Amino acid sequence: MARAIMKLENINAGYEKLQTLFDVTLEVPEGEITVIVGPNGAGKSTLLKTMFGLTKVYTGRIVFDNKDITKLPPHERAKLGMAFIFQLENVFANLSVRENLRLAGHDLPPDVLEERIREVFETFPRLKERVDQKAGTMSGGERQMLAMAIGMIRKPKIFLIDEPTAGLAPKLAKGVLENVKRLNEQGYTIVLVEQNVKAGLEIGDKGVLVVNGRIAFDGPASELLARKDLARLYLGVGGR
Amino acid sequence: MVDLNLLMSTTIYGSVLALLALGITIIYMTTKVFNFAHPRLSLVGAYLAATAMAVYVQHAGIKPNFEGSQVLGGQLIVPYPASVYIIGFLVAMVGGVLAAMFEYYVILKPLLKRGADFLKLMIATLAYDFLLMAVLLLYNTHVWIKKTLKDGLNLIATKMDFSAYDFALITQGQTYISGGFILAVAVTVVLALSLYILLFRTTLGIKMRASVENPPLAEVLGVNVERIYAISWIISGLTAGIAGFLMLLEPSSGSLKPISATSPADEIVVSAFAGSIVGGVNSIFGSIFGGFFIGYVETYVTNWLALLLGMKELFKYSRVVSMFIVGLTLMFAPQGVIALLREKKVVDRILGFVKGRRGEK
Repeated sequence: MARAIMKLENINAGYEKLQTLFDVTLEVPEGEITVIVGPNGAGKSTLLKTMFGLTKVYTGRIVFDNKDITKLPPHERAKLGMAFIFQLENVFANLSVRENLRLAGHDLPPDVLEERIREVFETFPRLKERVDQKAGTMSGGERQMLAMAIGMIRKPKIFLIDEPTAGLAPKLAKGVLENVKRLNEQGYTIVLVEQNVKAGLEIGDKGVLVVNGRIAFDGPASELLARKDLARLYLGVGGR
Repeated sequence: MVDLNLLMSTTIYGSVLALLALGITIIYMTTKVFNFAHPRLSLVGAYLAATAMAVYVQHAGIKPNFEGSQVLGGQLIVPYPASVYIIGFLVAMVGGVLAAMFEYYVILKPLLKRGADFLKLMIATLAYDFLLMAVLLLYNTHVWIKKTLKDGLNLIATKMDFSAYDFALITQGQTYISGGFILAVAVTVVLALSLYILLFRTTLGIKMRASVENPPLAEVLGVNVERIYAISWIISGLTAGIAGFLMLLEPSSGSLKPISATSPADEIVVSAFAGSIVGGVNSIFGSIFGGFFIGYVETYVTNWLALLLGMKELFKYSRVVSMFIVGLTLMFAPQGVIALLREKKVVDRILGFVKGRRGEK
């Protein structure tokens, strides 16, 4: 099994006084896609946000790349090689595509940044065509493309992606998940929260089921996909 | 005929309002705080600058050259060397920044950390405003007046006179070009251009715009949003301090004196917020436009009404004009005049109207 690039140990977390995660222990294997699924309001996005320091951790410990990051603010975690892609509002609508990319790589040397921008344009040629266009004027699919490009600029060690297909047409959603898979093939570790359970687990290596803020399943994605009992109980799929 | 003195003093006043509105807007955009203490921050700059200038004048052996002074256009112009103004300018900026940083770090940041909402923050800025008012009044009454009386500087003995430092650049008979007027326009233009370059041509500017638009996203991209907020407060304090310095230069012959010894900044707060609202509380350049707009309209409409009705005391109520404009703006263009112009259909309508007029001719 691959080395765990991130470990959550007995995490209790939430938003100020509202606790939403209870005693969560989880390992994220390096170079793999970990897919987090669960019913609405189960705490999937909170779990992802907790990994990035966007919630309040009451007790427990988070280790990333052998470093305790439990108390680090999000901007410091970004510098350690973590990237977070929000479900909504994941690009700066009032900034152009180039400005979005420049911001993402703001602490890189200028020549490295230009090289990285060239690289993401090779992966997403559509963005190159719209380099001076404001992100707010682009389509949903193009925005998701830009959101991933923003994440790629810093060549992070891990991508945390929150429901990238939410609100997209099925065809566009399929394209977005293909892009996630392509990112993983380039060597990036990915933690993906996905509403579309089947499509998400199909591209995943590891599957995590969250129910009421607790981990109900942690194992191979294919095994979770095959567990009809869990799927029927918590995910609304898997037949009668 | 254009009253040159009125135009010059109004322009200085407009610059002061533009800078104050700019500071109010920057803070509202970044931290979503309506800073009622902002005009008072400019007074901290003004008082400190006036003090530094007076102390410097006294200790460097520079005597106000009353023999070389001239009464031009009804205004006593006492020449001072340039170093006096440079010191005043620098001290005003430092004063404004320090007062703003105190407000952010000591009052607002702890409240923000405790999750204080918009209303609590607004009340906190009001409390800080009262605190500053009390401190400045105490200073004015018990330190400044006593000291200046003792030293025999009678020119500024009865109150902190914010018109004592204007200077003439060009004189032609009784007509003169006010140095304060040139300086006010130059400072505002340079500041607006610098701000444009900072916001749209630098990485820091992109970070600032990003932090305003979506703080959590900026944070996950490695931007220290708290530091960006602090920088915004520094810029806001800087503009307040500069506005305070410009207050020292406004000729007293102007129709509007923003300050009186007993109620400093109580009145100008209305006009400064009016400038910010008219320009649009989310538009930096709109606020500069709004400040000048309010400055000119307030002065000239009051002037016109006073002449029309033969009531000189009408000037006391000039802020009513600002309130009226704020009312109209909130009713018809709540996003501010600049946002209205940005809407394509409005521009199209104006262009269509212009083309139609041309066609008729």
